[in-house]
Amino acid sequence: MALSRRRFLLGAGGLAAVATSGGLVGCAPGSSQAGGGGAGSGALALAWWGNPTRNKNTQDEIDAYMKANAGVKITGQPGDFASYWDKLATQTAGGTAPDIIQMDMAYIAEYGGRDALLDLSGVDTSKFVEGTVDSGKINGKLVGINAGINSLVIMTNPEIFDKAGVKVPDDMTWTWDSAMEVAAEVAKKGSATFGLAGIVGSGAGLGTWLRQQGKELFVDTSLGFDASDVQAYLESMVKYQKLGAVGSVQDISAEGLGSSAKPLAQSAFVVGKAAMTVSNSNQLEAINAASGTEMELLRLPSLAGKATERKAWYKASMLWSASAKTKDPDAVVKWINWWSNTQDAQGIDKAERGIPCNTDMQAFVKPQLSKAQQQVAKYIEDIKPELGTTPIAPPPGGGKLDDVLFRYATDVLFGKSNPADAAKGFVDEMKSDLQT
Amino acid sequence: MSAISELSSLRRSRAKTPEEKRLAAKEAGRDNKAGYLFLLPWLIGLVVITLGPMIASLYLSFTNYSLIQAPKWIGIENYTRMLSDQRLHTALWNTFLYVVVSTPVQLAVALAIAVLLNEGMKGLAFYRSVFYLPSMLGSSVAIAVLWRQIFGTEGLVNQVLQAVGIHSTIGWISDPSYALWTIVLLHVWTFGSPMVIFLAGLRQIPTMYYEAAAVDGASWRTRFTKITLPLLSPIIFFNLVLQIINAFQAFTQAFVVSGGTGGPSDSTLFYSLYLYQRGFGQFQMGYASAMAWLLVLIVGAFTAINFFASKYWVFYGD
Repeated sequence: MALSRRRFLLGAGGLAAVATSGGLVGCAPGSSQAGGGGAGSGALALAWWGNPTRNKNTQDEIDAYMKANAGVKITGQPGDFASYWDKLATQTAGGTAPDIIQMDMAYIAEYGGRDALLDLSGVDTSKFVEGTVDSGKINGKLVGINAGINSLVIMTNPEIFDKAGVKVPDDMTWTWDSAMEVAAEVAKKGSATFGLAGIVGSGAGLGTWLRQQGKELFVDTSLGFDASDVQAYLESMVKYQKLGAVGSVQDISAEGLGSSAKPLAQSAFVVGKAAMTVSNSNQLEAINAASGTEMELLRLPSLAGKATERKAWYKASMLWSASAKTKDPDAVVKWINWWSNTQDAQGIDKAERGIPCNTDMQAFVKPQLSKAQQQVAKYIEDIKPELGTTPIAPPPGGGKLDDVLFRYATDVLFGKSNPADAAKGFVDEMKSDLQT
Repeated sequence: MSAISELSSLRRSRAKTPEEKRLAAKEAGRDNKAGYLFLLPWLIGLVVITLGPMIASLYLSFTNYSLIQAPKWIGIENYTRMLSDQRLHTALWNTFLYVVVSTPVQLAVALAIAVLLNEGMKGLAFYRSVFYLPSMLGSSVAIAVLWRQIFGTEGLVNQVLQAVGIHSTIGWISDPSYALWTIVLLHVWTFGSPMVIFLAGLRQIPTMYYEAAAVDGASWRTRFTKITLPLLSPIIFFNLVLQIINAFQAFTQAFVVSGGTGGPSDSTLFYSLYLYQRGFGQFQMGYASAMAWLLVLIVGAFTAINFFASKYWVFYGD
């Protein structure tokens, strides 16, 4: 052969060294220069996650704003919830974060607590419903403007209930156990994959369940529960799974949750394979549009069987935040102000991002709401007597709770772990995440 | 040695008077300058794109760095934390399993196909391209998405099984017992690039050896083990080194198939995926940098072992 040993080894060694270093270099800071930051005053980048309905609304809002404010150029960056956060983290690290950022309660402390978000005290929140402004305050600084009022719901597909010949139960009196029995029954008779989807490993579900026992997911910067609570929670999830209420282990895993969740259009509930799902009230419009079915809203169950004791809460469906590094803070504040407090903006968005926080805007959009949005508005109004205190935003490191809980829950369901070990592992991992 | 430098060294050796020597040395210096100038683009690339970030990541590995705030020096804490990080251990095990299984299988398939193609069949160029195609697509997001569909609960695999009378409701990528193996399969499928290198290697084996062996009545099997394998061993070694390094850095397939989580139950949590989660998902770039350096050490060790072991099985014709 023409190859000599020395030359070959040298060549292979060199290639090996270059190939090895690739892994390192890929994650070096500042190596990503992609993404559109605001290039000077007047040009803003606006990022959001959403669904086809929201994408259209937001683009319409941007167009309307640019028409009314000549000289301002806003570039939209729509995205999917699951990939949105990876992208935002990368952009923030590279110094190219979008100027205006649609923010979630799960991540606001992550960014706000690290001084990556702009102070938005310049936005007019004087007409906001009491308590709705505080959601956006991190360490006393207003870094997120509540974009709409939301609450956790169990969305219900009446067609599957009809097909199964099961009556949609009374959500004022149902308990976790009775809800799961109904879920199992409707899944079996209606041959649905899930009775209730999106519950196993859901942080919001765990939070609801904890609050009904006087605990919280987070207190200050630490956990508001211990391993024994999680063990009891996981044991009940195993029980409900065996009952046939929450789908097969395979299906739960395939459906995913948090960052592994299937896109809305492919989710079991939208494609008609789940009788019920845990969701947020503002999702109704998008889910109806995607599924072509008129879904109904039910309350989450309570331990006592009394809705008034279920400790519900109003959640900011999402918030408007801005990059602390934006080149044009005034333009950003002006846009968020316009979006939150004008009929031009709210007339387009209506209740897609939740019921408006500004009471004037609530009154303005009310007669224009679609049937689904009226349902949502009524639900938000109806649950007022059932509200408990508003939970705090997850502290830095807490935003991934859903992913971590879902992983430990599937570990248990697949028989790779038991509730006691998984509960301990979950609490240890969350504690270590919160510290760093 | 290039023609120019050969020429200048020739001149230098012929230079007799001091004046001639001085001129020749000057010319040689000019040649060197030109050489470095030609190297410059590569050198800039190396320093700016590779070396600089590597040194930066070494520094960051000793800091607590959230991507957003300035890094804080914390000594070797990131490295000591790795010892008790259960997910890191899972990720190491998954990656190790992936490397150890997928690399040899992939190379075996590549070699088998290369030997077949080398039998002088008609339309070689066409088949070579067809077999090479997966290599170009294999690490792409599109194929990983396709994989997700094929191995889903209602995917192609289960439909085929159904057609032959096996009722399967296994979600191959949603069950922790199978998910990793679907990615191994995906990796094996991309055997094209080692195959092309094998093909080139096979072409270089002089046919006279085979002819002599055929005259002596050696069987196909003997010819393969006594001629093909020894003479191809440097190529096998080369492919092995490269593919092992490549496999250690597997990321895209696991990221897409698991939706970035490494799930189900961390069964597809590869090392580089976990590194990414730590760095960009949890804002622990310091820890992620430390993980990157551990990976360099591991890959370096594997490569060193490979080179050491090569003394005993790789045959160079010289």
